[in-house]
Amino acid sequence: MAHEYKAIQWNGNKIVYDLYVLAAIVAFITVFMVVGLATYESGHTADPVVLFIRALGTCAFALLTVVLAIGPLARLNKRFLTMLYNRRHLGVITFIISAAHFGLALLWYHGGGPLNPFISLFVSNSQYDSIPGFPFEVLGFAAFLILLLMASTSHDFWLNNLSAPVWKAIHMLVYPAYALLVMHIVLGALMTEKSMVYPLMTAAAFLGVSGLHIFTGMREWGADNGMKRLKAKGWVEVCAPEDIAENRAVIAPMPKGDRVAVFRYDNKISAVTNACRHQNGPLGEGRVVDGCITCPWHGWQYRPDDGVSPPPFTEKISTYNVKIEGGVIFVDPKPNKPGVKTTPALIDSNRASA
Amino acid sequence: MTKVEGVIDPVANDTDEMFIGWAPAPAVDRRFLLGALPLGLAASVGSSWLVSKELGDPGAGAWQTNATHRVTGVLSTDPYPMLRIADPSAPYGMRTVLIVAQGKCTSALQLADVAGKVVTAAGALIQRKERQMLEVPLFLDKWLEPADDGSVSEALLTPDVESIGSFELAGQVMDSKCFFGVMRPGRGKTHKACASLCIRGGIPPSMWVRNGAGGESVLLLTGENGGPMPMDILPFVADPVSVTGEVVRVGDLLQLRANLAAFQRV
Repeated sequence: MAHEYKAIQWNGNKIVYDLYVLAAIVAFITVFMVVGLATYESGHTADPVVLFIRALGTCAFALLTVVLAIGPLARLNKRFLTMLYNRRHLGVITFIISAAHFGLALLWYHGGGPLNPFISLFVSNSQYDSIPGFPFEVLGFAAFLILLLMASTSHDFWLNNLSAPVWKAIHMLVYPAYALLVMHIVLGALMTEKSMVYPLMTAAAFLGVSGLHIFTGMREWGADNGMKRLKAKGWVEVCAPEDIAENRAVIAPMPKGDRVAVFRYDNKISAVTNACRHQNGPLGEGRVVDGCITCPWHGWQYRPDDGVSPPPFTEKISTYNVKIEGGVIFVDPKPNKPGVKTTPALIDSNRASA
Repeated sequence: MTKVEGVIDPVANDTDEMFIGWAPAPAVDRRFLLGALPLGLAASVGSSWLVSKELGDPGAGAWQTNATHRVTGVLSTDPYPMLRIADPSAPYGMRTVLIVAQGKCTSALQLADVAGKVVTAAGALIQRKERQMLEVPLFLDKWLEPADDGSVSEALLTPDVESIGSFELAGQVMDSKCFFGVMRPGRGKTHKACASLCIRGGIPPSMWVRNGAGGESVLLLTGENGGPMPMDILPFVADPVSVTGEVVRVGDLLQLRANLAAFQRV
């Protein structure tokens, strides 16, 4: 949430998060260099620059693997929300490491020659018609451009100005970028190095990330299938007020496939879209904190009755009309425009107990 | 009543206090992080150690950039820039030191006027086992000066040429500079683009051949008639190849003279 733009938004938790990530990166690269320089006897010592390029590349790939694993892990275990919260900083740090890898590799392998380094990148290996011989550098460069685009548009300024769907579409490019990086490794390092550790580790990372996404995706798909069975016209029946814990919500499917978070708070019921304005976080999995619906992903807040963030913030989400009849909550499936104030349904205190 | 089918109740799986990024972390999350963060750090260090220690042997080679190495001998540009140095203790009484420029632009060295003369050259020594190379600045006045004696040994000016025979060899085409020690490792697909660019810039190509016992031979690669290898060799650089060609000894240096059409990827 922001009422003004800052280059980098920090708070206590984010500072601890970023310092930890930097410490892990420094440890990774230091160990990589020390071990790499010490493994072979004098006279067979690896070139420190080549080793550093490899350390940066390996580190960037490991970081991106972690970035991609955090989302599904947080769907499986809420404790990982602590890591999801500042994932954007982790993504930008990943980009910085990958930029260092790219820049140094471009300089070291393609610089100082008779060709412009960027031209050399594309022509020095011309085996575009061969799978094993394919120039792996081009794949890495394509992935780097995607990460550059994502890092450049990572700020909330772009989220607000590009619109959430466009921003989301850009940032979904991280999956093709990851696939390109896997191929960059398979057709590069794995074609040169003989140890089985590398194919095993690369496969473990790729299958781990893919498996987590497929598993959590299938769970969501199962829930969506439940939704599609609801074909009723008019108001949609949800549950009894007492089925919802105080300051919590249930997530109700609407006939057109959208999800509505139905909150109970202060003896009232209100309904809003389940998708946070920020990054589509699942609001229904959040809480009512200080009178505001609070997103579990990044803590963005909205008032339950009008879906507007508390001042000085200005974000708005869609609201839904609700009513209670015969001890049952009904939701009008037609969403109100973002920020439209609704009348909360009052719970008959004689019927419902917290 | 029961909830309508399809309604999701997050409370069923999640009754703990919620983590909110801008608020102090709940105790349950702090306990989780106390375990997870050291584990993450250990995973970072452990994976780094494993990846680094499994890297292949970069090969024997050194690039002595911290000292200026001076050699005096007869300068030749046929087929590539080199100095032939009289050395009675060496096989055939001479040592050949290849000359390359800083970076990857050796072909920019203007050596025609000093070819065949005795000179002293100063630069950074690059050495892989018995093979030596001198890396020099692009501008002659920075590294080259005429030697005092002025007499040119015929043996150094036109060394013996001996045909060893025709052989079918399997190995890799390398750029001599990186392979001799500038890049370690300076071979394989991850180095292909660099090797290709180096050879395009005039750095002599070599054929690296290994025998089953772990030994290696490095033969200076030339065209069929002993001239510079045509640039059409570039697509084969750093790939496993086989080639049939004539192995020739020129002074103390072994050359592989081969027709481009004789190269095949293995």
